[in-house]
Amino acid sequence: MNGLVALGAGIAALTGIGGGIGIGIATGKATEAISRQPEASGKIQTNLLLGAALAEGTAIFGFVVALLIILFLG
Amino acid sequence: MNKLTAALMEELNVEMIQIGGLQIPESVVVSWGIMAFLVVCSILLTRNLRVDHISKRQAMLETVYNFGSSFFEGLLGKEGKGYVPYLMTVALYIGCCNLIGVFGIKPPTKDLNVTAALALMSIILIEYAGIHARGGVGFLKSLAAPTPVMTPMNILEIAIRPTSLCMRLFGNVLGAFVIMELIKMVVPVFVPAVFSLYFDLFDGLIQTYVFVFLTSLFMKESIGGEE
Repeated sequence: MNGLVALGAGIAALTGIGGGIGIGIATGKATEAISRQPEASGKIQTNLLLGAALAEGTAIFGFVVALLIILFLG
Repeated sequence: MNKLTAALMEELNVEMIQIGGLQIPESVVVSWGIMAFLVVCSILLTRNLRVDHISKRQAMLETVYNFGSSFFEGLLGKEGKGYVPYLMTVALYIGCCNLIGVFGIKPPTKDLNVTAALALMSIILIEYAGIHARGGVGFLKSLAAPTPVMTPMNILEIAIRPTSLCMRLFGNVLGAFVIMELIKMVVPVFVPAVFSLYFDLFDGLIQTYVFVFLTSLFMKESIGGEE
């Protein structure tokens, strides 16, 4: 039973991939935007931080699910 | 593996502190401490306020207040002026909660009940803001905007938004706490301080900002979606 629980928790933690890719793409576009218009860098930075925190939220949900699987099923 | 599970389970459970004859959860006691600290700070910092020849303390206080107030008013518009004190209070409380991990005390936001209560307050305020600004009928009509097909999604969002707010804050604080505990178990000397700088300070402040910003964003959407 322990093996399946570990497998389930590992699969749940794979949501980090989506978060990482999403934040990476967003940061790339943000740096591109700043390079095009350096005066707007403050607003761009604010939006980037907000978007990164939201995307990280979904990755954190995966972490919480993995934790719950380990705690309540293992 | 079982030792790790047991250690995690112990961290996740809320410890009770015996006060008098009652069993009070630890997060509540720490929250009382934070409340006392904030109240004492408020009283001490706002003594002898004047209109002219203001002291440096008052100037700094006014700067901080103006910064927060202009930020929220930029988000919420003129109608949202009344909600600014609540938002700033929540920001201060969550900020203190997340940062108290630096001092070695368990942050109250590590308890799911605390974040759930904060998210519940947020969603009640958001819906109330919508009803107050649009009237009861207008609020019901806003559930059918932009197209009536979206109505089940809009109704679901009333439940999904506080859940995501709650879980995001809880997950971040819990994750930081668990990782810090693991690091302390492995390398207890100098490395925890460096990581604590990221996890407790940076992450804690960002989560505060995100929670309050999202609440005000939802409020703005609830108040003035069409105007």
